[in-house]
Amino acid sequence: MNKGLQYTIGRVLFWLLIILIFVYLVFPFYWALNSSFKTESELQRTPATFVPDNPTLQNYRAVFHNVNFMRGLLNSVIVATCTTLLALVIGSFGAFALGKLRFRGKTLSLYLILAMTMFPSIAVLSGLYAVITKFHVHPILAMILSYMIFTLPFTVWVLTSFFKDLPMEIMRSAQVDGATPFQTFYRILLPLTLPALVTTGLLAFIAAWNEYLFALTFTTIDPSSRTVPVAIALFTGQVSHQEPFGEIMAAAVIVTIPLVILVFIFQQKIVAGLTAGAVKG
Amino acid sequence: MARAKKRGMSEVAKKEERLALLMLLPSFFVIVVIAIYPLFTVFRDSLTNKIFASNQPVEFVGLSNYAQLLSVTIKELPPVIDETTGQQAIDDKSGEPVYERAITVLPREPQRFREVSQFSLLGKRYVIGATERDFIRAIVDTLIFTVVSVVLETLLGLIIALVVNSNFRGRGFMRASMLVPWAIITVVSARMWQWMLGPTRTGLVNVVLQIVGIGDGQIAFLRMSEYQLPAIIAVDVWKTTPFMALLLLAGLQLIPNDLYKAAAVDGANKVRQFFAITLPLLRPAIAVALVFRTLDALRVFDVFQVMLSRTRYSMASFAQDQLIQYQNAGISSAASVFIFLLIFVFALLYIRMLGVEAE
Repeated sequence: MNKGLQYTIGRVLFWLLIILIFVYLVFPFYWALNSSFKTESELQRTPATFVPDNPTLQNYRAVFHNVNFMRGLLNSVIVATCTTLLALVIGSFGAFALGKLRFRGKTLSLYLILAMTMFPSIAVLSGLYAVITKFHVHPILAMILSYMIFTLPFTVWVLTSFFKDLPMEIMRSAQVDGATPFQTFYRILLPLTLPALVTTGLLAFIAAWNEYLFALTFTTIDPSSRTVPVAIALFTGQVSHQEPFGEIMAAAVIVTIPLVILVFIFQQKIVAGLTAGAVKG
Repeated sequence: MARAKKRGMSEVAKKEERLALLMLLPSFFVIVVIAIYPLFTVFRDSLTNKIFASNQPVEFVGLSNYAQLLSVTIKELPPVIDETTGQQAIDDKSGEPVYERAITVLPREPQRFREVSQFSLLGKRYVIGATERDFIRAIVDTLIFTVVSVVLETLLGLIIALVVNSNFRGRGFMRASMLVPWAIITVVSARMWQWMLGPTRTGLVNVVLQIVGIGDGQIAFLRMSEYQLPAIIAVDVWKTTPFMALLLLAGLQLIPNDLYKAAAVDGANKVRQFFAITLPLLRPAIAVALVFRTLDALRVFDVFQVMLSRTRYSMASFAQDQLIQYQNAGISSAASVFIFLLIFVFALLYIRMLGVEAE
């Protein structure tokens, strides 16, 4: 009897804890969603309401007509896509060498790549800024190339471990069939690592989509190159003089929903990729 | 000797080595161009008085940028003597004893020191001065931010990881929800929290605090200096705890279930099991996650820049501000080098923990 009661209380507390964690993790996003559907007057009302009284799409309409934000979206898509593709191409070459080929200096190379995954981008900010202003590099191109600083080492590091895990027999039998190592790489091994490429590509894309330091700094020379994070940080509304938080929250929802959907679809892959990047070699 | 070794290699092995270097070449080329070379120029510029977009000739100034950034002094503040009583004057309003103004004791030559803060020790009053007080404050703030947020994230992350690691219905959904804060752009989450931390009851936090009976619903979290750091830390903890939980969860899943079964047979309860099995076996995962997060927190930029803009800095947002607002390449580079060296030490620690296995 006593045991049963103890068990029930334990279960109830456990579920309370789960609900508490869930609310903590998700509620701030709900709050943004809630605010994005409120009218200007309801946003100014005190105390704030937990559900919009008259849900309106006004904020979304304003955001979709905001030229700066829409251009930011386009710029972000271009920058993140190009960075990801470039990192995957260059990174899979390097990862194949590190994961499957034998050569001197391999350990040193691995250490260098690992060290690079932790490289703080602030350390090269003024150096890159100097080059960009001196040679008038377009900020979009500057972002695509400079984002390699965090996407490439990560891509190489994670893909190396995937290549390493592929059985050596595949390579040997291909060699016996007369394939050169490079043919083995792109005809046989690369297709096999496709799932890993998707995962690392997704993580690289999200990292590039997220980047703020370089984007904010490089686009000071050309505001039309601003990406989404910069556009949202510097968001100004069409009409109101105060910070237009209704529109900012609508913009926040617009850029977050696609990522949340991706995250729910690729959940297991993302977790595997994240932990591979940080926990094991 | 290297040649002798090479002659000993078979034709196939030589080919393999050539291919490997060829395939690594693009990666190393990119790393050299966007990281190593710029890092070298930043080191170089940190020793000059370089200002972008100006005609001032660039001169080598040695370590004076570092001296400017890091010079700190502590001086005793003499008490103000009340002429009528001959005792130390007491402020009428606050009832506190009055001391001389800091500006009278802080050195002005060769560089002017400004007040960072004051403290009392053994009945005496001292003032801390610095030539670049924004950077000294940024160092202190970044360190406080790092320690507090990393500790909180580890504790909360451990709790969440333990919960999600146990069996319950809806566990998969819970794991997916954990990725929601992680998937939200840092700038966006800073903006979301800025809205929730609003200074009136249009802000969620003020509403909730008032319902619980704390505050008057008018707390200006982002304007009052005592609430600024806690607010920033709250945002970072919310955003990053799930990531921490995932790293720890990966560690938890490596612990064999048999151990718990055996412990249960021996009569150890859950708490005992946690301290005897989980915690010791999880220690490597915790250590790795801790250092990894510390590396990240030390270079914090986004949250500080968005939420406090130029009222208060992290080390990185100070360096960025010097670069963009003042085009001051010398000071900005020196601040960057300082951050780099600090992170470098932690990175070495991290690499030693991870290790590399080539074969």
